[in-house]
Amino acid sequence: MGRRKKIVQECETLMDDPEHIRNIAIAAHVDHGKTTLTDNLLAGAGMISDDTAGEQLAMDTEEDEQERGITIDAANVSMTHEYEDQNHLINLIDTPGHVDFGGDVTRAMRAVDGALVVVDAVEGAMPQTETVLRQALREGVKPTLFINKVDRLISELQEGPEEMQKRLLAVIQDVNDLIRGMTEEMDDIEDWTVSVEEGTVGFGSALYKWGVSMPSMQRTGMDFGEIMELERNDNRQELHERTPLSDVVLDMVCEHFPNPVDAQPMRVPRIWRGDAESQLADDMRLVNEDGEVVLMVTDIGVDPHAGEIAAGRVFSGTLEKGQELYVSGTAGKNRIQSVGIYMGGEREEVDRVPAGNIAAVTGLKDAIAGSTVSSEEMTPFESIEHISEPVITKSVEAQNMDDLPKLIETLQQVAKEDPTIQVEINEDTGEHLISGQGELHLEVIGQRIERNQGIPINTGEPIVVYREAPQEDSREVEGRSPNNHNRFYISIEPLGEDIVETIKMGEASMDMPELERREALQEAGMDKDDSQNIEHIHGTNILLDETKGIQHLNETMELVIEGLEEALDDGPLASEPVQGSLIRLHDARLHEDAIHRGPAQVIPAVREAVHNSLIDASIKLLEPIQQVRIDVPNDHMGAASGEIQGRRGRVDDMYQEGDLMVVEGVAPVDEMIGFSSDIRSATEGRASWNTENAGFQVLADNLQPDKISEIRERKGMKQELNPAIDYF
Amino acid sequence: MLTFVGLGLYDERSVTVAGRDAIRDADRVFAEFYTSRLIGTDIETLEDTLETSIELRDRAGIERDPEPILEAAESEDVVFCTAGDTMVSTTHTDLRLRAADRGIETRIVHGTTAQTAAGSLTGLQNYRFGKATTLPFEDAHGGDGVPDSVVATIEGNRGRDLHTLVYLDIKVDDPHWDESDDTYMTASQAAAMLSEPFPDTLGVVVARAGSPDPLVVADTLDELATQTFGDPLHLLVIPGSLHPLEADALESVAGADLE
Repeated sequence: MGRRKKIVQECETLMDDPEHIRNIAIAAHVDHGKTTLTDNLLAGAGMISDDTAGEQLAMDTEEDEQERGITIDAANVSMTHEYEDQNHLINLIDTPGHVDFGGDVTRAMRAVDGALVVVDAVEGAMPQTETVLRQALREGVKPTLFINKVDRLISELQEGPEEMQKRLLAVIQDVNDLIRGMTEEMDDIEDWTVSVEEGTVGFGSALYKWGVSMPSMQRTGMDFGEIMELERNDNRQELHERTPLSDVVLDMVCEHFPNPVDAQPMRVPRIWRGDAESQLADDMRLVNEDGEVVLMVTDIGVDPHAGEIAAGRVFSGTLEKGQELYVSGTAGKNRIQSVGIYMGGEREEVDRVPAGNIAAVTGLKDAIAGSTVSSEEMTPFESIEHISEPVITKSVEAQNMDDLPKLIETLQQVAKEDPTIQVEINEDTGEHLISGQGELHLEVIGQRIERNQGIPINTGEPIVVYREAPQEDSREVEGRSPNNHNRFYISIEPLGEDIVETIKMGEASMDMPELERREALQEAGMDKDDSQNIEHIHGTNILLDETKGIQHLNETMELVIEGLEEALDDGPLASEPVQGSLIRLHDARLHEDAIHRGPAQVIPAVREAVHNSLIDASIKLLEPIQQVRIDVPNDHMGAASGEIQGRRGRVDDMYQEGDLMVVEGVAPVDEMIGFSSDIRSATEGRASWNTENAGFQVLADNLQPDKISEIRERKGMKQELNPAIDYF
Repeated sequence: MLTFVGLGLYDERSVTVAGRDAIRDADRVFAEFYTSRLIGTDIETLEDTLETSIELRDRAGIERDPEPILEAAESEDVVFCTAGDTMVSTTHTDLRLRAADRGIETRIVHGTTAQTAAGSLTGLQNYRFGKATTLPFEDAHGGDGVPDSVVATIEGNRGRDLHTLVYLDIKVDDPHWDESDDTYMTASQAAAMLSEPFPDTLGVVVARAGSPDPLVVADTLDELATQTFGDPLHLLVIPGSLHPLEADALESVAGADLE
């Protein structure tokens, strides 16, 4: 029997034993070494050759990933590990660290119970470290820490024991400060800070495949002095053999990460708002493999042979071929064609996957990343929260007209696989739009369409996505239907920032029970009466129904909402989405007969009222901004900060860190296009930098008219604005 | 001067003589046929018979942009005409008010309308009709099925022993409506939709009112739902309790079996 086959069999035996299962993710700032670390673990489990670990990047399965040397999608793998004489099944997800691919990280966290956070010993905790930690903790996923690239401290920076200890402790302290800050207000999480003494921190070198932790040093009898000695003398092979990284990390995983039986009782209430008293809730808390089937889909992939594959966490019941399951948000059922587990990028079909495991399923044609799939109809899981919204759009068109249908299909598939991508299909012009997290994000998607699907495409210049938002309170404005028989009275004011944030984080939505929504919004500063009048939430906009006893309004409300959404999706300035507005419906006059207050009447009336109120509220254009951090040698610091300032940016801080200067600031995304090559030439390639999307801010007043007119021209809209827009 | 002319119920000959004269004498004639239609004719026949040329306006051309009509009416004799009567189910009061606002003189030439045909063809007394209502196509009003307000209207009328005239939806010139779907709701469709909230309830179908061969059929809604009544337009009456004379009329003209 082949080694691989044997591992599959071991996995199958362990699948039924949730107490010995660990579902984990590895997450880190870009380039801190997650994927190399993952390869170590695979080699340790005998799944790839020991020699190639570190170079093979088994998890980076796409060609472009191996080319770019970064992970783009989250990849899944299962392996076994013996700890304290007991075999354990470890289901692992490797996640991308580049900021453009944050959506993948959030989705991966939903499937796991533990997150191994990898930090580069030289660079320390970086902005993405903070982001992935936040993503993990919000999902109730417990962190441990692995400090990577310690070999560089010893061999490259020639640090002595004291210096090195100081540096490592500083990294741990930084990470713990982050954890403490983020869990302060979480009642269900006690103390999740990491410590060397408890064994929740490991150190080592993924590149040279050695690692240590307090428990491992006790077991092997090796102390730090000996390790430094071996590393310094280039005896890395011996170091690897005596204290292999995979053992240290996998022991830590088995010892300190919760198994599904311990994790699900705490995680289920965090991510599911259904009836806590129900049988279903019990099944999920108890990881009942005989209960109703509940699968949370966290990833959709495509296999050239098997077609679309949905991967996710089984919270209850047992997945088997032939089951007919409901998919949240769609009607009817899907039939499961096969079930399997992942083995390093490849799927192995098995007969069944019980609760507590990560499964790969075919046949769920209606599922998207984020769907709840179940054997009985149920409240879906909380929507997976994306911390970042799309900020850049590109047009895509097929070079050959014949490819058009295939391109549309591919684009729809792309949106299904990665919900942080938004796709707008325009069958009339053939020019479709994809929006994503950054230039790189869209570039990668474009290349995949060309390479994987063999469709030659032309892509346009990247276009920045704008927003529109009210700046002050409007007066009450009337909107009339074309037949004049229906009238709506509306006013709009800006929503508080905390409330907008609460909606963005998914902490208040129309999917959740009313009482919880009210509480969340009141906590964010919403007036109590207002929170009771909420009729609808669209994007980060809230509609309040303040009318009293108007006949037929109930029946018309759906059309009101339709008109509202149309008006908010295409703002009055440049047809960009409106954000952060509180819309009050004060009064309405409706025609007696349903036919005279139909869609053709109500939608335009509401649309007009909303747009006019927004204009009366001095609506302005907002542009996306990015936080920029540049690490650069002292003599290039001026050039580096100049690159931020020259882009309508602002430098907030400059400080020394080690032998480098750090420049921190913010700049508009619009100006950041092309930043990579500019900063490289300005600093002779000596700078390393990181950008992170930081939301939207009002565009300077003097730039508003030109930008608005530029967008309108691009969209083929007429140049004249509504005459009431007279404040620029 | 702006004259509103109702063209009546069915074809080019349904208009009154006064209406025909007003149209013949007008400098310009505007019309809309999105609220209802003259099923028995077309625009060309209408123009030939009435010896005029008609400028057709769509919904947006009346509701959003009535300017050309009003402007013409400021200096010339203008007629605006619709099927039925211009002010009853078609509700063009708004246009009249706009004209009045600009100091344009207006007058109305009545047409026969479904409202009167419902009483006269069925023998149900005009004095005993309550509020009328329109039954929209199932997904054409922002909800599913029969709107609550339609049910409430019929229930309210029945509670006071009154008849309800139910207009049936027409989808013309509506951007929210798919062309391939039905244009005219049939009485069978309407009876099927209403038989759920109103089981074992008497209904009276009136088909092609104003034509040479109108059809009137009375039966339970469940029964009516299984029958067909030929070409449009159809309408439906849900009677309240029946006066003996009304019962006799339904038995005689509508084949009702009221035993």
